[in-house]
Amino acid sequence: MDSPIPTIEIAQAPGTWASLARLAAVLKANRKRPGRIEALPPVCYLRPAVRLDATDIAAYAKVCGFQPEQGVPLLYPQMLTFPLAMAYFASSYCPWPALGTVHLANHVQQHAPLQAGDVLRVEMRPGLLQAHEKGQVFTLEFQIWKDQALVWEATQTLLRLGVQNPSGPPYASALHNAQPLSVQTSFMADAGIGRRYGRVSGDLNPIHLSALSAKLFGFRRAIAHGMWTQARALAAMLPRQPLAQADIWVEFKTPLLLPARATLWSTRQVQGPLPDNALFEVRNAQGDKPHLRASLSYSLA
Amino acid sequence: MTLSTPPTARRVAILGGNRIPFARSNGVYAKVSNHDMLTATLQGLVDRFNLHGQRLGEVVGGAVMKHSRDFNLVRESVLSTSLAPETPAFDIQQACGTGLEAAMLVANKIALGHIECGIAGGVDTTSDAPMGLNEKLRKILLQVSRAKTAGQRLAALSQVRPQMLLQPALPRNGEPRTGLSMGEHCELMAKEWAIPREAQDELAWHSHQNLARAYQDGFFNDLMTPFQGVSQDTNLRGDLSLDKLRSLKPCFDKKVRPEQGTLTPGNSTPLTDGASAVLLASEEWAAARGLPVLAYLSFSEVAAVDFFNQKEGLLMAPAYAVPRMLARAQLRLQDFDFYEIHEAFAAQVLCTLKAWEDPVFCQTRLGLDQPLGAIDRSKLNVHGSSLAAGHPFAATGGRIVATLAKMLAQKGAGRGLISICAAGGQGVVAILER
Repeated sequence: MDSPIPTIEIAQAPGTWASLARLAAVLKANRKRPGRIEALPPVCYLRPAVRLDATDIAAYAKVCGFQPEQGVPLLYPQMLTFPLAMAYFASSYCPWPALGTVHLANHVQQHAPLQAGDVLRVEMRPGLLQAHEKGQVFTLEFQIWKDQALVWEATQTLLRLGVQNPSGPPYASALHNAQPLSVQTSFMADAGIGRRYGRVSGDLNPIHLSALSAKLFGFRRAIAHGMWTQARALAAMLPRQPLAQADIWVEFKTPLLLPARATLWSTRQVQGPLPDNALFEVRNAQGDKPHLRASLSYSLA
Repeated sequence: MTLSTPPTARRVAILGGNRIPFARSNGVYAKVSNHDMLTATLQGLVDRFNLHGQRLGEVVGGAVMKHSRDFNLVRESVLSTSLAPETPAFDIQQACGTGLEAAMLVANKIALGHIECGIAGGVDTTSDAPMGLNEKLRKILLQVSRAKTAGQRLAALSQVRPQMLLQPALPRNGEPRTGLSMGEHCELMAKEWAIPREAQDELAWHSHQNLARAYQDGFFNDLMTPFQGVSQDTNLRGDLSLDKLRSLKPCFDKKVRPEQGTLTPGNSTPLTDGASAVLLASEEWAAARGLPVLAYLSFSEVAAVDFFNQKEGLLMAPAYAVPRMLARAQLRLQDFDFYEIHEAFAAQVLCTLKAWEDPVFCQTRLGLDQPLGAIDRSKLNVHGSSLAAGHPFAATGGRIVATLAKMLAQKGAGRGLISICAAGGQGVVAILER
């Protein structure tokens, strides 16, 4: 008989100091240098009861450009999963450190409307391995439950750079935007956006915080959080009302160096699992370099 | 005494038209006036039809953007041409409907036998725009002129401040009752009718393609007089690609639909300078001069919508005017060989077409049992329209009437529909036949 999957409960609420403490643990974990990994050891990280906090949501919405009438932003629940991912990276269950891990893709599905005040159970499990030309791809699976119903789930696809001879089937990009897109709007990603998003998300990775700290890690300037860029685009893509269901698949293409003006390109004449569909890309100001590419579908509450 | 019998209505013939190439605002016509442009256009028409020294029944036209000195613009332009100075003229103004309304007025006088022939036209410049004195300064200067003593004059003048000289009253492309620009109103319509961006860009692309082909085919050779060294509309981009249109950023979204707009500088008409004129006459007058008839102006209608209280889209009035006119003419929307729907914005055209296909709109707003239905899109704006040519407000009607009349003449027989939306929630429409 299989032994039960270990479950680790994370109690603390994310805050700046907690985030910094976590960052220290993450930095300590930076020394991990495993050999070839055949499969990730199963584990479940858990926050049994997290309340969707209206103040936190408002702070997130402000940084990402969402309007109050849009309700709980589609990607906001991913903020609740961040402490689980960080605890996982700092633990011995994760073979690799957080630093030097690249966010390749992110898939979010919302199955039911969410409201501030909802009490949620947040779970995280490591997923599958895929082989990438630049290293090892692995996924983290997140599930959020409300009253025994799965209301939200996400898959983070991550790339550990430099792993020789990676395991698993070959990684392939899932999004091929054959449709022509047109400019919907442009927005400013200012120099301080990494710090502001870091504060609301808890993700204080130095590559996002300042040009100086980013230089230490080989970037010319600070880069925007991919999840901020995605959220900022979604704020413009989604209507000014809450969603019932949604499905967003995004692939991160090139870093958005701060500060910069970015352009949002989109089209809506596409098919998807839900009634309202769109493809979009965030590109540089000239529109010739994609920062991210996404496929969105949703239904309104 | 017995009252004299009024004449029965006669058919009104369109004999030809003329325009100068339309030019984007602050471009090649930046330093010419409405008077210059209208005079050149009228003179070109006079030359083509050899009307030198002739006394016409009437010349009717107008401009939307007008200086106070241009109160008698059309009459002054007539006096600057080689027409007989005894030709009467008057000015009208119905925003973008001015040119077509002028043609309707001349046509009605001809139909009733009041006149035998006339010219309808329009002109507009947004480059040589009227700029008013600062409103505070204007009031002070009026006070000075009313003053009776030197002391009163000095007291009034002492209120003048230097900044008043640098803050003139500028004309605005906006609706006084809503404070929104026409593009913002049209963006709201595009939202209500769910008109996709891509469809708007495609319509704009077709407009440029069609107009470019018409120029290549020499279609405008006898409809145009070169002006200021220009022989083709300067807004026309024959090599325009859909990709280029897609790369343009929405420009009317900020107030009404932030970051979710669909109207761009590519699928909206630019501010434009230009003028046009059309020669209309009775069949007898035309026959006496051996002038062939291109087409007849047979029906017209004007509608207005309550865009302020009832919240109907500002530019939706043609959707109301056309079915009323069709009912009088006992025609279906599909009974036309050509549709000339003025492209103020691609979205305006697409909203109108969608409304006519919508059973709910046709029943609740138009009171029709059946929707008007779809049109054959290959018959729409066959030689391009305002998105490519540009849109000097009052000159658009004359451009469309002359273009459609020539298309019908080339076809030999047929029917064409004209639809023009105008500021203030108005729609001016007409039927040409041959």
